[in-house]
Parts: sequence; structure tokens; C-alpha cells
Amino acid sequence: MGLRQKIVDSRLYRDFIQRKATGPLRAYYDIPPADPHRPVGETEFIALDLETTGLDPKRDEIVSLGWVIIRQLGVDFSSCEHILVRPTQELSESSVVVHRIFDSDVANAPDIKTALEHLLPQMAGRVLISHHAPIELGFLGQACKQCFGAPLQIPTVDTLVLALRDLHRSGQPMKSGALKLDSLRRSHNLPPFRAHNALSDAIAASGLFLAQIAKRDPKGELELNRILR
Amino acid sequence: MSIELEEIAEFLKQHHPFDLLPDDEINTLPKRLTARYFRAGTKVLSPEQQCLHLYIIRTGGTETRDPDGLLLARLSEGECFGVRAMFRNGKAANNITTLEDSLCYLLPEKDFHDLAGKYPQFNYFFAQMGGERLRSGMQLIESRDDDQLKLMSVRVADLIARNLVSIDKSATILDAGKLMSKERVSCLLITEGDAEVVGIMTDRDLRNRVVAQGRSYDDPVTEIMTANPISIHPDEYAFDALLTMTRHNVRHLPVMKDGKAVGVITTNNLLARQSLSAVYMAGRIGKLTDPADMAKVIKQVPELLSHLIEAGATSQNAGHIVTTLSDAATVRLLQLAEERLGPPPVPYVWMAGGSQGRQEQTALSDQDNCLIIDDAYDPEQHGEWFRALADFVCDGLNTVGYVYCPGDMMAKTDQWRQPVRVWQQYFNKWIEQPEPKSLMLCSVWFDLRPIHGTKSLFDNLHRLIVSKARDNRIFQAYMVGNALSHHVPLGFFKNFVMIRGGEHDSTLDLKHNGVVPIVDLARIHALANGVDAVNTFERLHAVKSLPSISKQGASDLLDAFEFISITRLKHQVRQIRRGDAPDNFLHPESLSAFERSHLKDAFSVIKNLQNALENAFGKSGT
Repeated sequence: MGLRQKIVDSRLYRDFIQRKATGPLRAYYDIPPADPHRPVGETEFIALDLETTGLDPKRDEIVSLGWVIIRQLGVDFSSCEHILVRPTQELSESSVVVHRIFDSDVANAPDIKTALEHLLPQMAGRVLISHHAPIELGFLGQACKQCFGAPLQIPTVDTLVLALRDLHRSGQPMKSGALKLDSLRRSHNLPPFRAHNALSDAIAASGLFLAQIAKRDPKGELELNRILR
Repeated sequence: MSIELEEIAEFLKQHHPFDLLPDDEINTLPKRLTARYFRAGTKVLSPEQQCLHLYIIRTGGTETRDPDGLLLARLSEGECFGVRAMFRNGKAANNITTLEDSLCYLLPEKDFHDLAGKYPQFNYFFAQMGGERLRSGMQLIESRDDDQLKLMSVRVADLIARNLVSIDKSATILDAGKLMSKERVSCLLITEGDAEVVGIMTDRDLRNRVVAQGRSYDDPVTEIMTANPISIHPDEYAFDALLTMTRHNVRHLPVMKDGKAVGVITTNNLLARQSLSAVYMAGRIGKLTDPADMAKVIKQVPELLSHLIEAGATSQNAGHIVTTLSDAATVRLLQLAEERLGPPPVPYVWMAGGSQGRQEQTALSDQDNCLIIDDAYDPEQHGEWFRALADFVCDGLNTVGYVYCPGDMMAKTDQWRQPVRVWQQYFNKWIEQPEPKSLMLCSVWFDLRPIHGTKSLFDNLHRLIVSKARDNRIFQAYMVGNALSHHVPLGFFKNFVMIRGGEHDSTLDLKHNGVVPIVDLARIHALANGVDAVNTFERLHAVKSLPSISKQGASDLLDAFEFISITRLKHQVRQIRRGDAPDNFLHPESLSAFERSHLKDAFSVIKNLQNALENAFGKSGT
């Protein structure tokens, strides 16, 4: 982990940005973050995926968000949420092709600020789960800065990183596509899923996460900080 | 609803008993679920542990063991555990361990009871499981609550409710009436000397033969009794008893053992256990006069089969019940033919061969049958009568739904409509001078079972077959060679070898590569040991304690047979449910990983026992 990352993840930095945060982000920071020394089984997670108009958080925008909460190592389907977000610019053709979300779909959708007002309370005190987290962290961080004056800090588990560690440990050569969500799920005897939208991806990642933890933590003693990014 | 949750709803809709819920309800279910993941070998529940959810297996498989470690069940995709806990205030009853990495959906106890309260059919399914019903891939230890199955597992002896009430044949009608009234019974057995039964008298007889006819009460009971009543053995199944009663239109059946009456069972004993579709189907066939009408009844066999399999019937139960219906159709057609042609000029017996003979029919069966006629048969004089009989019955069966045998192994064919002496010649030749062509016939004609007529005609022939086959090693070696020609679909590394190309690309032929090899093995071991059973389960049970096959080998083969047969039946039931015609070709992908590995094990068992047989008999033969 790089020095910059260490700083960005530090308590000190959190205290610093907390003071700059406004609105729901302020409320988010008022709730203490998940304790890294607690067992994973006692920690609450939020598996989240988002779809964007491109890959650059500075230029591109979020068009949809999906998430589900994990408690006591169980994916709680009653907590599922999927929201579309109305971007400020018109949707590009390439983005429509990928997500099949059209301008007409998002015309009446909430803007990103409203979406974050809904999401941030769900994230407070919980640990983020994402498959390839830099995307989610980059876009959410950028959005928080724009809307509420400060970046987002949240303890994060990246299922892609956990998969990579497993793969390195096994000493097996990496096959192309081995780190894709679907092939990882298959290797853990999880049912195939169809990647349709942000929520289906979030749920897919949550299942993979459970499998990765089951493998690491047969006795339920694993501490959170062992799996954080 | 999100598409991911729709996928969960779709999954539930494909599995019993969730498929019984209305769509509106199922669509709300995913939101009430929690997903949990367990590594292989994880103990998910143990006795008395708190369990506040019903577990639905999404992927993987589990094993249920009772507190003493006895294996009760193996569950796979779509099946549920934690059911007992739902009925025990959230306390688990058994040990549940994952056999593979498994993803489970957990339904909260409260939601479970809400659904059970709202939907009786859903409740019924689990109430059975909550009681005693637990199933395993192969070792079924269940007390079946389904009525049909109960009758298949309950013996007549268990149905006898009270001590026998009988009266000596010297008694008067008045004595008999008084005794019936005093003992509060609806029938009396009439005995002579030391409990020898000479007749039966029922309350119906008092009404019809005494009161209605104005008969004197001082007449002897022998005047109104039914002499030499039809009886049943205490070891027979309740199902057979009900069938016998329906067939002969009687309501009381004496239970006889070694020539002595041990009790009486009545329709009330049985009908208290509710109506039975298979028995009623058989009963209906017995009343019809047109094969086209019988076809309408037989058309329901696939549905009956689905019902049986879903209720947890073993393949042996299902085979027995389904075969009963083709027996019923055969008997009925023979009766109709005799009505039309007049009484038989010489005695005969109608025989079923192949799967009907073995009582192992499934949803799709063609007909294999033959006629054995008394040696007094004169082709000139009687030939036409029997030809007409065979044509009527075989054509009738074809109309009913049991299509003509592609190999013409039917009584319709002149060659298979012969007197005893000709059949003796046939069997002598097949056994003493075996040749490849005749071996094909053996799979049909060595599994004969009398259906209707003078059964004693077959007895002598049967004895001859059994003793000749037992003593003839060359014949056995030929049979072995033939049996080994059915390859098991397992490659060198225990992978499935599948059919390539054509209509059945990438499938396994469960019949020819699974069921038939075991049937062949069982036949050889039975014939080589003079065992006269024809049913594959009975054959394997009979040879279990004999030296020709190891006890373990026979047990393994029994398990493998049950597993492959039930997999085939379930496959056919799925096709029936989809509205497709049932066949024997299974795509292994349609099975869970757990079922696949079981199937591989079952095929390995066959392969091992084929090898053992090859070693025991040498590689002679074809």
C-alpha cells in the first residue's frame, strides 16, 4: 500500500476532512467507522456497485447505484436498493450501449446529490465491498467533494484484491479472465449470475465476498483489518 | 423487482414446494431472504442449536445425520433443511454438514409459518418433513405419509386390527348373526375342524341372501356363505390387498398363512387411508370395454408417476405401481377377448416379459408378452382361437398406449404363441446352444411373469429354466459376454463419456448405459444361482448372501440401481412437467454437482462389478 493511500485511510485524515464536510456527509462522519479489530462476523458491510458514463471520475458521471447490506455474514436481500441517477450531461452513445440506460430513463431520476443523501446513511459505520474498488471510491469521492465539500473515507474490502491474494497464494498461473466476477463466483460454486445492472453486480460481489471469508475464516475469528484493502 | 432478485424468484419457482405458491407471493419472497455461504465440511446445524430460519440450498449439497450419527438424508440444490426446527420452536433436531461449498437462502421462521398458514399445500409438504419425512440420495429412511406410498410400504399383517372372529360351519344363520352383533364385526369366517377356512359371511350376505330372500334363520351358515373366498398372504403389501378387493369387488379379505386364517382386512382398513389414484385407475380399467377408453386412463400414467416421484417414491415403488396398471389393462383385454371368443379350448397362461415382467416399467414402455398354452394344444383345431386372442390383446395394448414391441416379441407373433413343449425346446436350445442372436431374446424371455390364465403351466417351465441355467456354465459365460457389451459411460478419468452428435448430442443414455447393465448383472447372478425372482431388486437381495457376488457388491449395486433409476424417473418427470415426451437421455449439466458425482459413483459401481463378473467367468462368450 502506497504512502498516499496510508494517509488517505488514516484517522488523522478522517478528522481533517470531517471538519470540511457538510450535510449528509457530515452526518456520515459523525458515526464512528467500523472497528478494524472486530471480527468480520460482527461487522456490517455494504456491497455496492455503480455504473458510470466512463472511467474518469473527473469527467464522467454516475448513472446508477446498487447496494445490499451484509450482516453477520449474511446477505440481507431486504436491504437491496437500486437507484438511477440523472447526469448533468447527455448520455454518450458508448455509455448507453454498455448500461442500456437511456436519457429517457434518467430524465425523472434524482440527481447525484439526492442519491448520495440516500446512500450515505447506509454507508455510515459500515465497510464497503466492491469488486475493483478504485472505481467506486473514485466516483463516490468525487461526487462527495462536489456535493458536500469533502472526500469520502470508508474502510473497504476489494473482492478483486482478495481473489488476487488467493491466486498468488495458490501459486497457480493466472488464466485470462480468472479475476472476472463471474469466473470467481464459479470457482466458489456460486450460482451463475447475469450482469444486468449495478444491483445485480453488487449482489454478485456480496456472494463472492461470503465465499472468500468462509475460506479464510473457518472459526469466525478473522479480524476486519486482515481483509481490508 | 431487480433482475437479480428476479433470478432468485425464478430459482424458487423451479423447486418444490415453492412452485406451489402463486407468482405474486413468490415475487415477494426474495426480499425476505438472507444468503449465507458455507465451505464444504462446515457443520451448519447441530441438535438443539438455535435455528430461526428455513435453509434453502441454492448451490452445493448437505448431509443430515441424526444425533447418533446415522445418515438420514443427502440434500442438494433446491432442497430445504432446518425444517424440523420450524416445528420445534427454533431448535434444530439433527446435524447438518455441507458436503460441498454451498450457498443457502435463509427464510425467517416467521415468514415460513406465514406461508404455511396461508397455503395448505405448502404446509402439507413441510409438515410431512417436519414429522418423519427425510430423504437421502440413496438410503431412504422414511415413513411415507403419502397414502399411495404408505400402502406400498405397509404389509397386510400390519393392517389386521383385531383377533379373528370365526364360527364353525355347523352353526345356524341366527348363531352367526348373534356372534357378529356381539363381536361388532361386519364379517365372519366359517371354519371346519381346526381353523380350516371354508367360507366367509358378511353383513351384506345377511341382507341379500337372508332377509331379502326370506330365508329361515335356522338354516346353516354354509347356505349363505361365500365358499373358498379369495384370500391374501400377510406378507403382501396393503396396496396388493386393495387391488385384489377392487378387482374382485369384495370388501373383506381373509388373511391366510400356511393354510390358516390369521385375520380379515376390510376396505375400511384401507380406505381410511384415503383414495388411491393408482388403484382407482386399475379399478376403472377393469370396468371398461373399449381399448380407446382404457387409453384415456393410461394416459394419466405420466402424471401419476410425477406425483409418486415428487412424493418421494423409490423407483421400485414407482415401477411396481406403474406396472400394476399395464397388468390391469392386459387382464381386462384378455377378459374381453374371452367374452368375445368364448372360453379357451385348452388352458393357457398369458406372460409378460421385459420390464413389465420385472415390474420395472416407467412412463414409456412398449409391450413384451407371450402365450404359453397347454400341451393339449392342436394348431389345426385351436390355432385360430389363440391367434384371435393374441391379436385382440396385442392390438388392444397398442391402442391403450403400450406400443408394439419393435422386435416382435409379442404373443401376436406365431413363434411366441406356443404350447409348453415348444417353449421347453426354445429354452433348451437357448441355454444349451447359446448364440449371440438368442442372447438378445434372453433379456426379455428370462424375465417372465404370469399375468392371467392357468399359472401352473408356467411353473414347470420356470423350474426347468432356473435349474438348466444354473447348471450351464457356457450359457452363463455367454450371458456375461452379452452383459459386458453394455458399456458404462465413464472415461478413464471418471468423466462422463457422452453421446456425440445427432439428436441426443452430449447426453447420457440412462437406460442402456445405466439401468440395463444392472438388470443384466442381476439376471446373471440370479440365473447362475438358481434364484427364481425376476425383479431386479429382488434378484439382488436374493443373491446378496450367496458366494457369486460379494455382499458389499450386491448392496452397492442395489444403491446404484436405485440412484440411476430414480435419476432417470426424475428426468422423465421433468420432461412430463414441461409437456415434452419422456425419454432416457439426460444432459449431465441439468444435475447439480452433487448429483453428478453420485451418478459417477453409481456408474463406477457397475463398472467394478462388471469387471468382477468378467474375472469370475473368464472372457469367453461373444
